[in-house]
Amino acid sequence: MPPRIDAKTCTRCGRCVEVCPLDVLRMVDGAPAAVYAGECWHCGACAMECPSGALRVELPLHMHPVVRRVKP
Amino acid sequence: MNTQRIETDVLVIGGGLGGCMAAMAAARRGARVTVMEKSHVDRSGAAGSGNDHFWHWNPEIHPGRGWTVEKMVRDISWDGPYGALSGGAIDQQLTEVVASESYARVKDLESIGVNFRFDKIYPWNLQYEAHPGENRFRIIPQFQSEWDTLNYEGRDIKPKLAAELRRLGATILNRYMATRILCHVGAASGAVGVNQRTGDAVVVVAPSVVLASGMDLSRLYRSPSGDWFNSQRPPMITGDGEAMALRAGAEVFIRPPWRTRSIGLQHFKGLYRSSGAATTSYPAGRIVNAEGDTIIEHPASREPMRVRREALERSVAEGKTPIYLDMTRAPEEEIAYAEWSYGHEGLCWVMLEAMRDLGVDFRKDRLELEVEETGRLMGGRLGVWISPETETSLPGLYAASPVQPAGEVSAPIPVVLGYRAGDRAAANAEGKTPSVDEAEIEAELHRIAAPLECTEGSDWREMNIALNDATEDLKRLFCGFNPPPAKDAVGKQGLQTVRERLATLRKTPIVAADPHELIRALEVLNLIEVADTITEAALDPRVTEPEAWFLGKRSSGATVFRSTPITYKYPKEVG
Repeated sequence: MPPRIDAKTCTRCGRCVEVCPLDVLRMVDGAPAAVYAGECWHCGACAMECPSGALRVELPLHMHPVVRRVKP
Repeated sequence: MNTQRIETDVLVIGGGLGGCMAAMAAARRGARVTVMEKSHVDRSGAAGSGNDHFWHWNPEIHPGRGWTVEKMVRDISWDGPYGALSGGAIDQQLTEVVASESYARVKDLESIGVNFRFDKIYPWNLQYEAHPGENRFRIIPQFQSEWDTLNYEGRDIKPKLAAELRRLGATILNRYMATRILCHVGAASGAVGVNQRTGDAVVVVAPSVVLASGMDLSRLYRSPSGDWFNSQRPPMITGDGEAMALRAGAEVFIRPPWRTRSIGLQHFKGLYRSSGAATTSYPAGRIVNAEGDTIIEHPASREPMRVRREALERSVAEGKTPIYLDMTRAPEEEIAYAEWSYGHEGLCWVMLEAMRDLGVDFRKDRLELEVEETGRLMGGRLGVWISPETETSLPGLYAASPVQPAGEVSAPIPVVLGYRAGDRAAANAEGKTPSVDEAEIEAELHRIAAPLECTEGSDWREMNIALNDATEDLKRLFCGFNPPPAKDAVGKQGLQTVRERLATLRKTPIVAADPHELIRALEVLNLIEVADTITEAALDPRVTEPEAWFLGKRSSGATVFRSTPITYKYPKEVG
């Protein structure tokens, strides 16, 4: 799952596109987009650098932790 | 291809921890420095989104505890928790350099604003007296027998290093993948690179080159998770340094594929990126089996790895699986400490965010760990062979990563060796003007442009899958099918077939629709070259000689191999 970008809070500054280590993000029509979503390392660099908190990294299903709840 | 030409004193290939430290050292000597970085230097490399632990030898604390550099090197080589893992196949001279200079590098990192000292330390940290008014380090036991790992706030270590490089006036070429180390009249003279966004090329002419492209061969083997990009090490580290070193004729160390001899726990189920899943949980985490019985009291305990493994093997043999990381019984203060630590350990920060979204809580939930069974097939690897001064066999070329094994692969190695390489490279550059071979540059520009100009061929994914089919066979044929046959039954004919398959891949045109795909394509071509060298080495009977390094070097199109005994300054003590 590519990073989720909230179009309402994104200021289109392009910082996430600038730093993305795997070149997943590119500016498309003036806004960041996960053009190469399948190559995301889910490292969180984009979210860490986003000045407006508009970007969230969501792990794809196969990376979800497998848990056993032992306390309510 | 638009091509820009830059002249500099020291060219650093790779802007991760090692590359940044190299650039810092070279700039401090007054050299003009250029850093060529495949991603963006602010967040690139294995520590791009942080690092929370750094083992070191501290001259102000450790001597008083009877812990010397010699003891540390012995521990890493032989006696310590992780000593048994290396089987002694480490270069003790490099390990000694890393241990001796680690504290000086911590101070360098502190000088650029990375926080290592705290007004509050906890009962589970090493208790020691600081100078009056001075904050203390949070020291924990982790890789060695002594308490020597610093827990620190390294989430922004990369942006801080990058800012320092800009302050020092270094030229930073972001998004440029280095493709060839230039070599003229027997010495390194720069490199060629290509930009992943624009497709433009750059030729950097320099009398000294530092290779710091990172220690991994991502996508060389099939991903155990089925997702090439769900990897522990950075997926952008794809053997570029190894392939470039081979093409430049620098000598490399080669480790052929092997089979693991013991059981292991490395990461959370499914999350191959979560390195340190177990150890970073210090002090709150313990390893429990399916029945909730504690099998390892805490994962960073100083029990020998053998004891921990035996406990794990027992639970697995008794069918008490899955195995979990359990913090549910820990006091809140310990869990909060572990979460602070995870928050600074790169990829674990994302895991914490995801846990919050998914409603997973260390206080309530046990998290399943992946059990890595005995006898797994591991791929081979290469590293550039360096002297303790970080010199390679090619004059003018220095390397920090990938190099031969210097101990547990983690931040101190590239940080210390990177700084050293940058310092020595700057000294070498003084008063030198490099000359380049224009024909070599032309040929490289032609090679790297080819996938963009090619209209019929395979794309990088197709080529990469075919490569993985060949490299999986390389592992099986070299290590033997299960159950493995005697060592002398290495399938020579099979290995020859692997080489023929790799040769076919090399002849197959590879296409790239745009500059982004061009980088992926050039990465696959590098991986094919590395795979072929490992396969060629696997055919040499000397490759399995015990207590020896196996080295290889390209010369006039052929690879010349040699085996040389591992020399120990601190040999294993008998009895």
